Amino acid sequence: MPRTNLGEFEELVLLIVAILNDNAYGVAVMDEIESQTERKINISAVHSALDRLETKGFLKSHIGGATKARGGRRKRFFTITVAGRTTIDFIKEQRNRLHDQIPGIDLGLS
Amino acid sequence: MDPFNQEPPQWALKLLRLYCKPRMLEIIEGDVYELFYKRIENEGLSKARRRFGWDVMRFFRVRYIKGLEDINSLNNIAMFKNYFKVSVRSLLKHKFYSLINITGLSLGLAACLLITMYINHELSYDNFHKDADRIYRMANNQRGNWTPARLGIQAKLDFPAIEEIVRIQGPFSQTFNLDGTIYREERGFNADSTFHKVFTVNFLEGNPDKALTEPNSVVLTKSLADKYFPGRSAYGELIDMDGETTKITGVIADPPKNTHFYYNFINSLPHERYVTVGNWTGNNFFTYAKVANGTDVAALEAEFPDFKRRHAGTEMLEWSAYSTYEELLANVRNPPTFTLKPMRDLHLHYPGFALGSNGDINNVYTFMAVAGFILLIACINFMNLSTARSAARSKEVGMRKVLGSLRGNLINQFLVESMIVVLIAMVLALGIAILAINGFNGLANRNFDLGDLMAPTTLLYLLALVVIVGLVAGSYPAFYLSGFKPIKALKGEIKSGSGNAFLRKGLVAFQFAISILLIISTVVVYSQLQFMSNQKLGFEPEQVLLVKNGDRLSGNLSAFRNQVEALPGVEQFAMSDRYFSGFVGNYGYETVEDAPRSGNLMNLFVSADFGQALDLQLLEGRFFNKELVRDTMSVIINKKAADWLGWDEVVGRKLSRGEGRDFTIVGVVEDFHYTSLKNDIEPLVLRNVTDEGWINEQSGWWGANYFSVKLNGNLRQTVNAIETAWGRAVPDEPFNYTFMDDSFAALYEEERRFGSLFSASSGLAIVIACLGLFALAAFTLERRFKEIAIRKVLGATVQSLSLLILSDFTKLVAIGAVIAIPAGYYLMQEWLTNFAYQTPISIFLLVLPAVVVAIIAWLTVGFQSVKTALGNPVKALRSE
Repeated sequence: MPRTNLGEFEELVLLIVAILNDNAYGVAVMDEIESQTERKINISAVHSALDRLETKGFLKSHIGGATKARGGRRKRFFTITVAGRTTIDFIKEQRNRLHDQIPGIDLGLS
Repeated sequence: MDPFNQEPPQWALKLLRLYCKPRMLEIIEGDVYELFYKRIENEGLSKARRRFGWDVMRFFRVRYIKGLEDINSLNNIAMFKNYFKVSVRSLLKHKFYSLINITGLSLGLAACLLITMYINHELSYDNFHKDADRIYRMANNQRGNWTPARLGIQAKLDFPAIEEIVRIQGPFSQTFNLDGTIYREERGFNADSTFHKVFTVNFLEGNPDKALTEPNSVVLTKSLADKYFPGRSAYGELIDMDGETTKITGVIADPPKNTHFYYNFINSLPHERYVTVGNWTGNNFFTYAKVANGTDVAALEAEFPDFKRRHAGTEMLEWSAYSTYEELLANVRNPPTFTLKPMRDLHLHYPGFALGSNGDINNVYTFMAVAGFILLIACINFMNLSTARSAARSKEVGMRKVLGSLRGNLINQFLVESMIVVLIAMVLALGIAILAINGFNGLANRNFDLGDLMAPTTLLYLLALVVIVGLVAGSYPAFYLSGFKPIKALKGEIKSGSGNAFLRKGLVAFQFAISILLIISTVVVYSQLQFMSNQKLGFEPEQVLLVKNGDRLSGNLSAFRNQVEALPGVEQFAMSDRYFSGFVGNYGYETVEDAPRSGNLMNLFVSADFGQALDLQLLEGRFFNKELVRDTMSVIINKKAADWLGWDEVVGRKLSRGEGRDFTIVGVVEDFHYTSLKNDIEPLVLRNVTDEGWINEQSGWWGANYFSVKLNGNLRQTVNAIETAWGRAVPDEPFNYTFMDDSFAALYEEERRFGSLFSASSGLAIVIACLGLFALAAFTLERRFKEIAIRKVLGATVQSLSLLILSDFTKLVAIGAVIAIPAGYYLMQEWLTNFAYQTPISIFLLVLPAVVVAIIAWLTVGFQSVKTALGNPVKALRSE
């Protein structure tokens, strides 16, 4: 597989969308990131990353679900595409493979 | 507290709605609302509101900002995008035509740009003065440049409307001597201490009010001060000017280039009687007046005849042959007066009053006409090529109409296309103008640099020009093409129609007419120049060295003279108070006879050797004789003067300067040109300068200001030897000389520049017209390809086919010539009235340009027509 063209934050957002499964929209993704990683991020950064991922074909979106909590405005739900799924799998596999090859360094502690 | 009753800050919401892409808006709003409500519960209302604002601002990203396509009120923008795309494609598809269009237009625009810059500069003269509108130059009567010393002083006393006056003299060149380094500096003026109150002067050092009050004070411009005192202050320093110790009492910023009198330094006026008190009959000063706001200048001028009579009357009568002022009034056409000329008009409308700024409104008009012509030719090219290609575009037009395009839309489309072409041409034009600016400076006699070219006003004019050209050149094709009937267009019935072809041919003929007109102008200007340089001057200007500044010699004259006369290459050494080709003034004389007549005769003081040095032809009598002491009371007159006197026997008769100063006529010389051939030879009197250089020794009237030295053999060597002798005689004065023939040739500098302007512009016009012709011919031949093939199949020869095509274009040249020749004849006849001696405009001069243009047109079209005629007819006829 060639280079994946995925930034660190994008990868994070992609993973979160995958985790949230059918309930991934802007605020939910932000909250999830905050609770999972304790990173403080702005909602606009999340939007921007989601849009970029959609342009790259890793996500797809549909509109739905107006609630009172949003002042009657609809949400835009994101779901991961097959390409997105393959990509995160590939990244994980590659990371693991590389990680496994790190020689056990004797730090002289034992 | 129910969070849902709270509202986020309205400004943030408005901002978001203002910039955000509509299709993104709902989702973003929803998310920020959701966060807002959540935060009210967790963090409190005020913090939630603050963070809402922050979130909105963070969404201000390129991704979410509205693009052009989102401004729904301007749905047209999408259409314009399409026009742009189609235009670029069409230009690229027809690279040959586009190239010719753009080249022609950019040449025309470049010429226009330079000329616009020039005109703009010419019209800006003296605008930089504060109150420029209120400053007037006072003229003696209607056209008298020089005014009496008392005028300014008295006028300010008599008329409250005159706020301030200043008298200046100049321009002078003076010798600066600072610790032994000697330079001659040009363009110095003498001025009253009120100089800065009338004109806008920026004093960098020194007190403006005090700088010019004391005699022997000088104010230097910054650049001159830096030249003599690099890196230190010039203020308060002493400098030797023309042998006088002078104090530098001020340093001022260099005046702008666009002023009718450019100065390098300003001297104070001496505290002498002729300045402080002055009189009314010696005209030694230029007087400027600043009038009060809202002054009725015409009313002020109306008071001047009376003013002049009141103050100057008595003095004027003393110097005239009349006993009362009434008698004087009866004998002059207009009563003596003073007039006011607006300072801003001096440069262009009163070049005689401008102190060396070389402006002329006629030059501005000529340049304008040339620019207009060239641009017109370029525009015609554009129109012709666009309409000629109309058949090729007709399908596109038809299709657009079928799909619902209105005529207005199509017009827009073609205008956009022409704008694109013009804009590209504009960029090229700027480049061409940058390259051509030095050549243009030669033509316009100005010093423009890139800064002037890139000045915002110039560029603004260029932009305006582009819009105008784009609309004018684009509108005809736009209206023509958009008028196609869609069905006919789609069926391919639209040929480049006959009416259209008629107009196109007319425009081409017009282009030829302009080209021929410009060439006629060029030819006539040059033949007049040729005529003037071939004209017999009536004396021999060759090999005559003219040495200037003879007044600096005084006591050393004989020493210098002896050294020069001893040189082997020197034939004659003559002296005069003024020189040929320079300014020669007139004096009033009266005839000595029963009924004395008075007249102004040109007057020149010359030494005894002058006649021989310049080879004047003596008709009667003798020239001056050094040996005769009384020869200062003798005069020699030219033939014109003898004719004016009208006496049978002239030699021995007398002319009078009044008060018993009678001069005996001892000789008559053949007429000779003492000045430019623009002026007639007028009656002239030669008077004597003694061998010691005096006109009148008692009153200290020096006459040996110029030396005319007749040379032979090795000129270079002799001139060097004379320079050495000069250096010994006047060490602090640079040797300033010229040759008489060069000095005469320099009189026609302006005409030569005129010639260059016309040759450059006619060259340009022809190049642009030929570019258009070339493309048009290519196009026409393409359309007639089948016709020619059929003719060939039926037996026409290559020769007859080529001639057939050529004769079409020759007809157009002929029509152009018919228009251009009378116009050119009339215009150039008008121009020639500037000259007292004119070259005849022969038929040859008028026909030659037409023939030249015809030949150029044949060369342009010929290659293509022969190529077409040689082509294989099968190729043309095979495909349908």
